Amino acid sequence: MANAPRSRAEAKSLEAWLRGFTRTVRLPLTATIITGAIGGVLLVLQAWLLARIIDGVIIEHQALQQVWPLLIDLLATFIARAIITALTDIIGFEAAARVKRAIRRQAYAHLTALGPAWSRHERSGDLATTLIDGIEALDQYYARYLPQMALAVFIPLAILVFVFPAYWIAGIIMVITAPLIPLFMIIVGKGAERLNQRQWRKLARMSAYFFDAIEGLTTLKLFGASRAEAQMIADVSDDYRITTMAVLRVAFLSSLVLEFFATISIAMVAVYIGFALYYRELHFLPGFFVLLLAPEFYRPLRNMGSSYHARMEAIGAAEQIVRLLATEAPTPDAPKTEAAPEPALTLRFEQVDFAYQPGEPILTGIDFTLAPGERLALVGPSGAGKTTISQLLLGFLEPSRGIIRIGGTDLRDLPPAAWLARIAWLPQRPTLFHGSVIDNIRLGLTADAAAVRAAAAQAGADHFITNLPQGYDTIVGERGQGLSGGEIQRIALARAFLKNAELIVLDEPDASLDPATAALIGASIERLARDRTMLIIAHRLESVRHADRILVIDHGRIVEFGDHASLIARRGLYATMSALRQDVPA
Amino acid sequence: MTDLLRLLRLFRPYALWLLAGIGLSVVVILANVGLVALAGWFIAAMALSGLSGQLIEYFTPAAGIRALAILRTGGRYAERLVTHEATLRLLAALRVWFYQHLEPLAPARLQYYRGGDLLSRIRADIDSLDNLYLRVLAPTIAAAVTIILLVAFMAAFSVKIALIDLGFLGLAGVALPLVTQRLARWSGRRAVAIRADLRAGVTDTARGLGELLVYQAAARQTETITALSDRLIAGQRRQAWIAGPAAGLAGLAANLAMGLALIIAIPLVRRGDLTGPDLPMIALFVLGSFEAVAPLPAAFQALGETLAAARRIFAIIDTEPTIAEPAHPADPPTRFDLRITNLSMRYTPDSPWALRHIDLAIPEGGRIGIIGETGSGKTSLLNVILRFWAFQEGSITLGGVSLRDLRGETTRGVCAVLAQQTYLFNTTIRANLHLARPGATEAELHDALRQAQILDEVRSFPAGLDTIVGETGMRLSGGQARRIAIARAFLKDAPILILDEPTEGLDAVSERDVLAALERLMQGRTTIMITHRPQSLRLVERVFVMERGRLKQSKG
Repeated sequence: MANAPRSRAEAKSLEAWLRGFTRTVRLPLTATIITGAIGGVLLVLQAWLLARIIDGVIIEHQALQQVWPLLIDLLATFIARAIITALTDIIGFEAAARVKRAIRRQAYAHLTALGPAWSRHERSGDLATTLIDGIEALDQYYARYLPQMALAVFIPLAILVFVFPAYWIAGIIMVITAPLIPLFMIIVGKGAERLNQRQWRKLARMSAYFFDAIEGLTTLKLFGASRAEAQMIADVSDDYRITTMAVLRVAFLSSLVLEFFATISIAMVAVYIGFALYYRELHFLPGFFVLLLAPEFYRPLRNMGSSYHARMEAIGAAEQIVRLLATEAPTPDAPKTEAAPEPALTLRFEQVDFAYQPGEPILTGIDFTLAPGERLALVGPSGAGKTTISQLLLGFLEPSRGIIRIGGTDLRDLPPAAWLARIAWLPQRPTLFHGSVIDNIRLGLTADAAAVRAAAAQAGADHFITNLPQGYDTIVGERGQGLSGGEIQRIALARAFLKNAELIVLDEPDASLDPATAALIGASIERLARDRTMLIIAHRLESVRHADRILVIDHGRIVEFGDHASLIARRGLYATMSALRQDVPA
Repeated sequence: MTDLLRLLRLFRPYALWLLAGIGLSVVVILANVGLVALAGWFIAAMALSGLSGQLIEYFTPAAGIRALAILRTGGRYAERLVTHEATLRLLAALRVWFYQHLEPLAPARLQYYRGGDLLSRIRADIDSLDNLYLRVLAPTIAAAVTIILLVAFMAAFSVKIALIDLGFLGLAGVALPLVTQRLARWSGRRAVAIRADLRAGVTDTARGLGELLVYQAAARQTETITALSDRLIAGQRRQAWIAGPAAGLAGLAANLAMGLALIIAIPLVRRGDLTGPDLPMIALFVLGSFEAVAPLPAAFQALGETLAAARRIFAIIDTEPTIAEPAHPADPPTRFDLRITNLSMRYTPDSPWALRHIDLAIPEGGRIGIIGETGSGKTSLLNVILRFWAFQEGSITLGGVSLRDLRGETTRGVCAVLAQQTYLFNTTIRANLHLARPGATEAELHDALRQAQILDEVRSFPAGLDTIVGETGMRLSGGQARRIAIARAFLKDAPILILDEPTEGLDAVSERDVLAALERLMQGRTTIMITHRPQSLRLVERVFVMERGRLKQSKG
């Protein structure tokens, strides 16, 4: 929830972060404040012209022709004010747009710098919300809140300059009441804000309850509980209404106080002026002029209340963005060696340990060699650490201890891009990017349509792709044509065929596929493995039977290794798992 | 428009709250306009009386100014409370209404609405319906009522001025917002589309960063994202260039109305048709009247969004349930042998048969397994038995009673289902179990968990049975969640058991645990199990193969 309770100190530091960006938009921001100030001056001018016209007619008994020039001036002021209003909005937008653009770039760059090992553990939807909706929520802070804060000081002061010479008593009333407004706003607002934030969580919970019921409707129905649930929803919503109203009764007090001071002060000014006029202590012209200015004096102060909301929203959004930016990206040491590609690589894990948190090891003492052309399989229960090994090998994670060597070189000394250029990787759950099938197979590689088709054919994907509505140009991904798990796997496999890399890393390429599809993909993998080095993490044991060597991983350690026959003969974990599964037709 | 009327009909029980909120809005605006106009009149009258030496009764207007100030402030407070109360009542009513209409449609008619994306669209749509009153109805109706009252009052002084006021109010409150919206519609839609693309792009990066790096596409993806971000800003800029001038013009309209009012009123004052103090009063009154139309642009915009949301929600709600309940339901069966004769079923009249000529007889307590490729019709068969989908030909009887004669709820009441995607609610383990047997005692819950072989694990959780599962709570492993679902099935104690890939996605060790629990659960119950796991098939007596909608006994 964007509005989770946070301490004042945190809110302060978040706002400092937001303000840091004003340096980059000083020009448009100053420009909005200047146009806003010009607008304020025009407002005073309009009040003055109006006061003179009315004074001329009812006190000086002038005719329409005599006040006509003033009316023309008034019209000019109207037009000028309209132009200024439009300009203020447009320039305010520019200020906000530049900041949003800069923050989005920075946040996205940081997201990529954090790497796949990090983003794998985050919810992609939440990250997208932070980068898109979160950054959009900053808009009003720069476009409105900041300029209005400046104007909330300038405009009342400017008005006072005119009010004091005209009727000093009104000036005194204004000077006394004006500071009361922000003061009470802060006093009442603080308590209300706390309540408000608690309420936000409650709303989130109520909403979650409702949508949880909708998502689980089938299950409710299976248990015959679906109709009773309507009453539960009614009760939860009703409970929410009652507590919310209790909070709102207090929360709205802040604006009540605000309105009260502003309105009563205007009424007081009006009554004072009235009596001063009655006793002829004051002329009508300055009196009426001050009356016109009084609401304008309080307006920016009252607006502060509404822009305060923009501030709170921006701070709430900033929290998510700052959390993302504050996550430390691994800062790779500058690669010491230029990529020195060896014709055939030997990959070695030398006593590699890995832990996210000290004391909670994920991998301990992993030690193996992968020779050129060899086919090595990792098996073991889920959560044993197999995927972590592949992430280390790809360089997405760094060992906590030990060294991974490529030929004779420490992996950390290789430029990541040069290393990854030699690998094709099929992750556990391949990503289908929003775009056409052909772009999804090509990704960053340059290849013509024929080459893509050939790769797809080798992956057993050409047939179903040509049967898609637009063939290779069909848009797939989150908002495109839906593909089955097996089809996505085959597209990912086609990527690997197209890349034609020396080393192939496959992470459970056949998990949750039906046997026919699994067999199809198994055959493709056989083709892919020919003449290449391969590391395969397996779920189903039949896919590793033909591996040159099998490492059995359990609780982060290599517990057994050998080929299929020798492992079965050992009667260890591998033999047990094999017996449990018995997937392999005898 | 009909959508709007339908929504309003839903609101009827809360009419009093809604009207009270609108009434208070009207009071607030009137008090505000009255305050500035009376203040203008008052000081002019005081000045003229001071100059002429004529006495004036000043207590009433001076008290009136103070009273209006208090009315405005207090009224505003009351208005906000009442409108929020009304909104929250509507919110509760809307959710219950939506849920009640959705319930008969699940799951058959909702299968197209699966997936987070669509669910979140429903979420956004319901939220925007929640705002209909506060953002759309209350401000528009209050504006209409206030404008009528204000213009009528002005007409008492000068019909001409009243008409000018009305004209400019219409310009600023209706014409201008409509034109603006028209102009901004295209760029607004584009901005929404670009934003969706941007969201898809960032989501892709977060999910597939590894692949982008390995396949050297990360730089290109960054370019794409940057370009989309720039296009989004360009779209928003076009909107700012429309919204800014519109705001300026709205202010100009109010000022022009006042200026014209002055030009008309000045000769009237000269002629004596109007008194001196009337002039400032009219000027400030006309200017102040524009407060009534200030919220209208936002309301018009929200109206478009809300109606679009309402249309989508109604489209879901108005779907016919696939199954009509029997007019005179038969008594629940007392035996539980299942017999399927020559069953055929398809999802729509023009789609191919999903199930064709199926014959299957399972005696009470019998256990069968069904294997077959994805899409061969296995799950369709379960949906038909559970009365989630209708069938067109053949018959299904349970203990000799045709399913067509039983209420869907009765049929489902005698079935316990365990599916791959069995849903655990975002609440405690206890509440998830109570779903199956609402009055279950602690001992019964423990017993069910023990039977499902998860009692010890649940006990080891810090909060035990009160552990929250699901998104916001503790993440259970796949095997644990599956066994809690099995415990739920034990509690339900239904004579028929339906298992859809019960061990899918589990590793070998978890699968062993789940199967052991299942074996006990299946004792003495009529069981249909869909699976392609050989070990699971060991638990059944006969195995059938489903192939393109047809069922054959397996030779193996």
